[in-house]
Amino acid sequence: MSTKAIESLSEDTVRRIAEERNEPDWLVETRLDALAALESAPLPDVIQTPGRKWTDLEALDFETLVDPLNQADTTDRDADGDVVVCSFLEAFEEYGDVLEESFGSVIDPTENYLTALSVALFTTGTFVYVPEGVAVEDVTVRAEMNSRSLFSQTLVVAEESASVTILESIESGADVADDRYFSNLVEIVAGENANVQFGSLQNLSPDTYTYSLKRGDAGTYASINWIESNFGSRLTRSDVETELNGDGSESQIVGTFFGHDDQHFDINARVWHRAEHTTADLVTRGVLDEEARSVYEGVQDVGVDAWNTSSYQRENTLMLSDEAEADASPKLIIHNHDTEASHSATVGQVDAEDLFYLESRSIDSQVARNMLVEGFFVPVLEEIAVDEFREDVEALVAERLR
Amino acid sequence: MSSEQEHLKETDTEARFEFKKEEKSAFKADKGLTEETIRVISEDKDEPEWMLQRRLRALKQFQKMPMPTDWPGQPDISEVDVDEIIPYIRPDVDVRAGVDDWTELPEEIKDTFDKLGIPEAEKNALSGVGAQYESEVVYQNMQERWEEKGVIFCNMDKAVQEHEELVREYFMTKCVPPSDNKFAALHGAIWSGGSFVYVPEDTTVDMPVQAYFRMNSEGMGQFEHTLIIAEKGSEVHYIEGCSAPKYSAFNLHAGGVEVFVKEDAHVQYSTVQNWSKNTYNLNTKRAIAEKNGRMEWISGSMGSKATMLYPSTILKGRGASDNHITIAFAGEGQDIDTGAKVYHNAPNTKSTIESKSIAKDGGRTNYRGLVHIADGAENSSTAVECDALMFDNDSTSDTMPYMEINESKVDVAHEATVGKIGDEDIFYLQSRGLDDDDAKQMIVSGFIEPITEELPIEYAVELNRLVELEMEGSLG
Repeated sequence: MSTKAIESLSEDTVRRIAEERNEPDWLVETRLDALAALESAPLPDVIQTPGRKWTDLEALDFETLVDPLNQADTTDRDADGDVVVCSFLEAFEEYGDVLEESFGSVIDPTENYLTALSVALFTTGTFVYVPEGVAVEDVTVRAEMNSRSLFSQTLVVAEESASVTILESIESGADVADDRYFSNLVEIVAGENANVQFGSLQNLSPDTYTYSLKRGDAGTYASINWIESNFGSRLTRSDVETELNGDGSESQIVGTFFGHDDQHFDINARVWHRAEHTTADLVTRGVLDEEARSVYEGVQDVGVDAWNTSSYQRENTLMLSDEAEADASPKLIIHNHDTEASHSATVGQVDAEDLFYLESRSIDSQVARNMLVEGFFVPVLEEIAVDEFREDVEALVAERLR
Repeated sequence: MSSEQEHLKETDTEARFEFKKEEKSAFKADKGLTEETIRVISEDKDEPEWMLQRRLRALKQFQKMPMPTDWPGQPDISEVDVDEIIPYIRPDVDVRAGVDDWTELPEEIKDTFDKLGIPEAEKNALSGVGAQYESEVVYQNMQERWEEKGVIFCNMDKAVQEHEELVREYFMTKCVPPSDNKFAALHGAIWSGGSFVYVPEDTTVDMPVQAYFRMNSEGMGQFEHTLIIAEKGSEVHYIEGCSAPKYSAFNLHAGGVEVFVKEDAHVQYSTVQNWSKNTYNLNTKRAIAEKNGRMEWISGSMGSKATMLYPSTILKGRGASDNHITIAFAGEGQDIDTGAKVYHNAPNTKSTIESKSIAKDGGRTNYRGLVHIADGAENSSTAVECDALMFDNDSTSDTMPYMEINESKVDVAHEATVGKIGDEDIFYLQSRGLDDDDAKQMIVSGFIEPITEELPIEYAVELNRLVELEMEGSLG
């Protein structure tokens, strides 16, 4: 696969971004390495079956989508307690060492073309640092994208026995006439016995193409729980991944999406069991209306040293329209026999009998359908422990059904 | 030991499948694949010009297409070099289209099939038998009562001569075109032997017909073609078995199977694959089912070094249905990558896929399957169930299903589980006085039972015995 060079991008561009932000040398070097990697880095893998490619990333025209020097966003960060939540700019001085040590430790910036592009050009994002033993619940990051392209980089470091819940939301602010591109990389380092819950709600404008890669490194007894909700964008490529590197570590990945118009969601949930006694639970539910299309890949990879693994995966798609399309591929890769693993996936429509029952109770058919769609999300919403986030998702579902 | 047990002892894999016969051939092609090779094979078979042209077109396809190497987690087939393969060996028999009396066969060939138990099975449970040795069918017989009803069961080479119109219409034109994949193209170029089955309208062939494929020579490739046409309202059960002795060099099996299930027809295709563990099994099998037609694929994959085989069904007519039942057993050095492919192209179509796989001693199994529901195939349903059992930590068990759903009025479900053989189950059986090996064997038999019970009794027994052989002694 050959990727396209972006002519307007040069070392100068990257240096200008870094200088404006007064960045330390190591980060400038990391950015330049990422830029150099664009020459050869492949696009992220997409699923192919005979005669079909499930998502066409090669069709993205980065030359026009990427406008590196005019990135603009409004980001509000809110946190109470003994926790550091700030932009990278504010963190360099005091937490430079932590940043340097952990940045790029979970996601290799040169891993693929889109990660390299993102690291080379990011101008926003959040640094969350939770010191040993500290527990905080309400860290919120609300961002608005105000430019043609925006590259965001988030790093969460939770030290031993720290606990944090972070809710991130991204919406479109000022209108831009053209197609837009949003790139969001999130790295989580969860130390021994740390507990990180990271919720993300994406509701960007329908002219936006979104690439989002979120990956966590779970240490001994650590748990990393993700909630990934996608409502907006024309095309969304979302990868949410956990590496269970520590004995006894756990991860849950909860996903929801609701597509309409000609939206395309490429949703991926992956977990690697690399240590003993690890547990993973992947739960995704999505609804497709009109001409929307979803692609789902779930991977449960159990390594040879992952003794006593438990790993579960469920994916359900509800189709409201005949023009919609749902593709799914839940995969199990098992190298250790001391494993209990299962996955399931379903695609279906609103149950005719349920609908009939509600109608027989004199509920209007549209209202009845909407009730059933809201009900469809309930098993996933129940997995979301944060009330505020659950209410936001419920509100967006209701809005889309109106 | 009773005589019955003596017999079982005889059924050691070495004795039953891996005996080698001295190579005696009437015609043996050179290694490798050129246009010249194909012309020579075609001429040796005295084929009509159109078949030669089809072969040559397929050869061009083959040369053009790349080796499939970019599938996620696919078996390593880099060793497969077609230039190292002997594509065609005509065994030294007098009657070219296969005799209908076992005693007319040369002693070493007759002995081969005796050992494999084919004549015995023919007497007891089959409507007809074809037996292929190297590249050609050497024995072919069907009970007269079927012939009278117009059922055709003959070898493919003979069908090209005697049923030319049918073959010309159906052979690699509508179902598996040579362009389907590289090994289908290879097959189209150098196919030899195989079966042709034609069942006329409203005819039910109530006992199965069987074909047995045997490779004896080192370094050869077997490329038999099976074409089954089941006319409206007919019913037939086709069984194939395959085996070869083990050699150090690799053997290649790239068969082609095309099944036409017409309106209201019902075809069951059962395979017990026990190729030697130096054989690459790269097969293409496909069925097209028309209105209310029913296709069933039942496969037991025990042998081969690497298998890449995904029997597929195209549900073309309204109300057509498909049933896949698959058992894969990968032991030491084996990579069994198998599954199913179903295309729902019409309304009210239905498919069920059941897969059971067992990996032990460093073997790898992978269920790779695709279910595609086209736009407009409303009220279709599919259910996929994959279960895997792992014995040890050197083995690998993967599950890679793909679902493409373009229609909303459907019911799609996929489920898979992977687990190890249960310590508690073994403990329970041991507490009942069974030793460790017997307990494990019993658990495996229970694990695959939902599938063996779908097989005719002879084959269920055969499959169970193969599983026992695989399990024997290697545990502990």
